[in-house]
Amino acid sequence: MSPWLLFAGALVIAGCGRDDRVIKIGFVAPLTGDQAPHGEDMRNGAKLAVEHANVQGELLGGYRLALVELDDQRNPTQAVVAAKRLVADRDVLAVVGHLNSSCTMPASAIYHQARLLQISPVSSNPQISRQGFDTFYRTCATDDLQGPAAALFAVRELGATRIFIIDDVTTYGRGLANELEKKLRELGAEVLGHEGITQGEKDFMPLLTKIKSLEPDLVYFAGMFPEGALLIKQRLDAGVGGSFMGGDGLFDPVLIDLATPEAAEGVILTTIGSDIHQVPTAQAFVNAYEERFGQVGAYSAYSYEATTIAIWAIQQALQNNRNLFSRTSGGVSPVTERRQAVLDVMDEFAGHPGLFGVQRFDEKGDSLIRDIGLFTVQDGRFVFLKTASWE
Amino acid sequence: MSPWPLFCQQLVNGLTIGAIYALIAVGYTMVYGVIQLINFAHGEVFMVGAYLALTVCLLVGASHALTGIALVALCLVMAVVAMAGCGLLGWGIERVAYRPLRPRPDNCLTPVGASRDGHTPRLTALITAIGVSFFLQNAVMLVYGATDRRFPALVPPLRWEVGGATVTVLQVVIVATGTVLMIAVQGLVMGTKLGTAMRATAQDHKACWLLGIPVDRIIVITFILGSVLAAIGGILFGLYYNTINFHDGYLTGLKAFTAAVLGGIGNIPGAMVGGVVLGVLEGLGAGYLSSQWKNVFAFVVLVGLLLFKPTGLLGERVAERA
Repeated sequence: MSPWLLFAGALVIAGCGRDDRVIKIGFVAPLTGDQAPHGEDMRNGAKLAVEHANVQGELLGGYRLALVELDDQRNPTQAVVAAKRLVADRDVLAVVGHLNSSCTMPASAIYHQARLLQISPVSSNPQISRQGFDTFYRTCATDDLQGPAAALFAVRELGATRIFIIDDVTTYGRGLANELEKKLRELGAEVLGHEGITQGEKDFMPLLTKIKSLEPDLVYFAGMFPEGALLIKQRLDAGVGGSFMGGDGLFDPVLIDLATPEAAEGVILTTIGSDIHQVPTAQAFVNAYEERFGQVGAYSAYSYEATTIAIWAIQQALQNNRNLFSRTSGGVSPVTERRQAVLDVMDEFAGHPGLFGVQRFDEKGDSLIRDIGLFTVQDGRFVFLKTASWE
Repeated sequence: MSPWPLFCQQLVNGLTIGAIYALIAVGYTMVYGVIQLINFAHGEVFMVGAYLALTVCLLVGASHALTGIALVALCLVMAVVAMAGCGLLGWGIERVAYRPLRPRPDNCLTPVGASRDGHTPRLTALITAIGVSFFLQNAVMLVYGATDRRFPALVPPLRWEVGGATVTVLQVVIVATGTVLMIAVQGLVMGTKLGTAMRATAQDHKACWLLGIPVDRIIVITFILGSVLAAIGGILFGLYYNTINFHDGYLTGLKAFTAAVLGGIGNIPGAMVGGVVLGVLEGLGAGYLSSQWKNVFAFVVLVGLLLFKPTGLLGERVAERA
């Protein structure tokens, strides 16, 4: 158990002894399992936001802010279990998470039913916000932008005409791959095939051998970095030529380590936001993060942003109605009332200075900051190419 | 690429992973042969083997391809450490988790294969096996962390063109190691005194005990032998895929168990044939149908085969019991 979790636990126990002077924000991501590096980056971002808020102290009117960290192991079933736990905790007023679209999707219905604000940092499947849940917001660009952006770059700038698409059959991977395929066909590129692989699988040689025989000039993988790394590595062994492109799920230094820098050289990725190091407004965050945790991860900034907005919404709700947070209010269940008060604040959300500029949401809850970044691997490191266009 | 070299390439791919399946499958099949227990912890022993080899690499500081004497020396050290570690683990598992649940062969009141109140204890041992499997998975997760670990690509990426197919030096090493070890195990079981004792134990514990064969020791040796082969499988797996995870023992173990059943459980040459057939089926399924359907294809063939030949390809070799 991490010291932070112990700390949070201690806070809870301390809070029980006195009146409720603690407000909790739930955080869910895969903290164990193959995608734990991504989850860790997100957790650090959320932690930093909570620490910053607690330093400012009085903003929450004497309430202490605690982060409840839960692990969904990138497994939709576990995601639902975690969501139910957060819903049942009367002190939880907002949730930051989850990572994977396949987890965010079922969990979002549970938060919606409980009138609990959910801000997903990075779940990018466009369908999630089309469910009509007014409890759902996200701080990243979506895959109906990322897919077309990747297709345009592949066809117009790499000159690819024969493309093979692989996805990991998850909500995220399949969704992104379908958006890409649609745009590729529109652009007149030849899609040689579109096949799924299973998460957790290791042997992709048969698939890559088949791809080699089709002689594509570009292979695209929509999925996460553990499988991506194996595909990149085995692609070299199988002798598949041409370029290799992927989505934001591959954007983690672990990808290069697992795939080996030689095999990863020249791989191109799209990300659901521009390069954090290039945005002037984010430099204070980058410095604070690096001082506290080391290198900024792919999803750290989004998680920080989501948590900051959740904290801001809770502060506003508190300022609007101080009585709401005391035990005296009777009638309707006080928990639902508190959570609804936070949602009401989000309804009137007019913009908040965030890391990537002023953060705003459309009526579905999707971020209006819609930059798609393009990165490539050079000498074992991700190098920012430019911001991509999707039309 | 024309159809024929493509087929050959898929065959090579299948053969490689099949050799690894076969190495693990022998452990399942031998243990099943002597005590009719499906040792579900065996997949985890394989995974521990891979982690032990990784530990050696980390301690030595090897992270890139090596050549000549350094490569051979490091591989030998990895093999010795992993085999010793897994052998010890196999011994420990048998001693701690399975032996206390087994009826003593010298207990004349207890019929073989039944506990005192007449119920079969095999189910108890099976549940214990699943427990041991969970225990090992979580222990490795706590020691080495929950994320994928990179296994250094020690073998230089040399490749040859054979009949249009590309064969890497590592693939040759995997298939050769598999073949040599299989022949050695078969020789040991069929041609030595120890092997004779194993085969006798597989037939009847009580009769063996009456004849003075140390049944418990034979069983423990079987566990150690299976674990040692799994350790080699683990090293080859790590070298071939270059990433390992505490979870890898589960799926690979399941496939190897399938291979053992496919070849005929309890039958050592069957395990080898089963491993290779399963690997090739997966390769062809992924290559000619769709990679998404590769497991479905492999298992549909397995079910079909077992419908017509319920005892597996080479036939089950478990002693008939009255």
